[in-house]
Amino acid sequence: MMRVVTGNYAAAYAAMRARAEVVAAYPITPQTFIVEHIAEFINNGEMDAEYMAVESEHSAMSAIISAEATGVRTFTATSSQGLALMHEMLFIPPALRLPIVMAVVNRTVAAPIGIWCEYNDAMPQRDTGWMMVFVENNQEVFDMIIQAYKIAENSDVLLPMMVCLDAFILSHTVEPVSLEEQEAVDEFLPKYKPHVYLLPEDPMAVGTFTPPEYIQEVRYQEDVAMRNARRVIARVDEEFGEKFGRKYHGLVEKYMVDDADVVLITLGTVTSTAREIVHKLRDKGKKVGLVKLRFMRPFPEQELREIAENVKAIGVYDRSVSFGSGGPAYIEVRNALYGFDIPVINFLAGIGGRDVMAPDINLMFEKLYMAADGAEKKNIIWIGTRGVEP
Amino acid sequence: MLAAQALASAAFHDGYYGVAFPFFGAERRGAPVLAFARIDREKIYQKTQIYEPDCVVVLDDKLVDLVNVAEGLKQDGIAIINSSKKPDEIELEREAKVAVVDATTIALEVLGTPITNSAMLGAFAKATGIISMDALEKGIMDIFGPRIGVERAKRNIEAAKKAYESTDIGVCKGGRMFEKGKKWLPNWDELPIGLATRALKTDVGLVGIGSFVENKTGTWRTFRPVINKEKCVNCLLCWFYCPDGAIKRVSDGVEVDYDYCKGCGICANECPVKAITMVR
Repeated sequence: MMRVVTGNYAAAYAAMRARAEVVAAYPITPQTFIVEHIAEFINNGEMDAEYMAVESEHSAMSAIISAEATGVRTFTATSSQGLALMHEMLFIPPALRLPIVMAVVNRTVAAPIGIWCEYNDAMPQRDTGWMMVFVENNQEVFDMIIQAYKIAENSDVLLPMMVCLDAFILSHTVEPVSLEEQEAVDEFLPKYKPHVYLLPEDPMAVGTFTPPEYIQEVRYQEDVAMRNARRVIARVDEEFGEKFGRKYHGLVEKYMVDDADVVLITLGTVTSTAREIVHKLRDKGKKVGLVKLRFMRPFPEQELREIAENVKAIGVYDRSVSFGSGGPAYIEVRNALYGFDIPVINFLAGIGGRDVMAPDINLMFEKLYMAADGAEKKNIIWIGTRGVEP
Repeated sequence: MLAAQALASAAFHDGYYGVAFPFFGAERRGAPVLAFARIDREKIYQKTQIYEPDCVVVLDDKLVDLVNVAEGLKQDGIAIINSSKKPDEIELEREAKVAVVDATTIALEVLGTPITNSAMLGAFAKATGIISMDALEKGIMDIFGPRIGVERAKRNIEAAKKAYESTDIGVCKGGRMFEKGKKWLPNWDELPIGLATRALKTDVGLVGIGSFVENKTGTWRTFRPVINKEKCVNCLLCWFYCPDGAIKRVSDGVEVDYDYCKGCGICANECPVKAITMVR
């Protein structure tokens, strides 16, 4: 069923279609509508789930962890300060191997206080053990929440996943989305079969006090699971494509990359705008390409190395900054491309929700050509910052 | 742990560089714990635990029967043991230089509790000659003073002095067999996923939920609660208060499970009719 809906509605609808049985969340702008829609679905009798109104995001994640440990599919959503408050609890599901799915509506973290899009809420969570996917449009919000359960619950993975969507640019924007029928989603995503769960008549210990003799092996298990996820993400995307006719190409999507001189790597909605710029530049005879960096965890090292084989310069767009060192995506891309002798430069733009406009992206490609010719020496370029020469 | 800190501090007062640190297990006060100290004239950089000590100090006499305390002890090293026995009555894995002091009795006399750490430091000073009693007094005051007050720290110094004077040095018997400490150390892919464990039987015993059945914590005990059935009114307060579930309900009242009772004395303290006494 094709309907014109917000990203928040698509997220709520996907949680319903995935048959999440327990939802616990605390409202925060711009995530609020996700939980409101879910509350409505439950109230209308469309969704059969327990909705827990909790007193904070820390409690939301605690409740979800406990619910998931009893062997049911769960869902939550948050943003910004809410995700920061949840940080302590985020380490628990990956280690206990609970495949929770959470929507994160990316919003700037105070101070200064703001409600608009920035990735400084999600990026600091990279080392907690969650898989992290950044989406480009409202259809991908819906599709990736459905896919996320299937990836997370795979027995070779068993890790939680964050589905990250841009504040307002997706959360409050309406666009056409195919909201799939229950029967089709059920066929793609069967009932959750937990590998192990709490049962009063057969007691089990989870998350107990663990001495150094064991914790290192537990961390290794998490590391292996994250590595396994690379393969599972690609396979689930294939299956999804066969079922619903839409594919996202796994960890990265390559857009006009094959014969490109320079490529720009982007995350989130900027990818969408950049697609149009790539078309326009191609029309002018410029061989430019675009790489949509979908997953920050697991990180697509191999895919990026293959792309780097055939291009003269690579640009990385970031919507948050690790102060003094450039953006997180840039830092990770450079790490992945260790040993390559091509310029890799960082573009910081759209921070705090500032609009990233067509001329900004044009400028990124211009800078990439200059870097390829050796005319641009800067590694980290702030775009559209008053008083700063880009 | 405090003893190791006081030792490092005492060493410092004698012009050494001293480092001390504890390693805690999963249990609470009274449980066997390890503490390490290094003393040198030079700055110490090594941050690892100690596997081949020059000196091993055993604060709890019952551990000698349970743990191979001489394991890793250097050939010319010394074991300092809290015991009422003579050095040649002590039996370890091999013959070794030992120093013996009845620290529990000294602690009970001087401090009124069986906490033997300060007395054992006195024995250490006597047995090794590495640190002076003067420095040890300062070390104990440095570490114990702020924690338990100057007066009680002084009594700990007194206990150390008394132990210093009554430490008996000799050679112990060897040839005692110890079962090699067995641990469940599975590879990463043999561990239950996410460590979610139901009761698990391994070749070294139970692991996971309920496995503490095999950990007979009664060996930690210095005092043992004895219930006078004549006085007992079966109010069950001891049963409620026992933090280890070591008081069992039986047909004619309550009974102590000495396999697990750690001898904390809470039951005796709570008993409203004083039917429980703590006996050494």
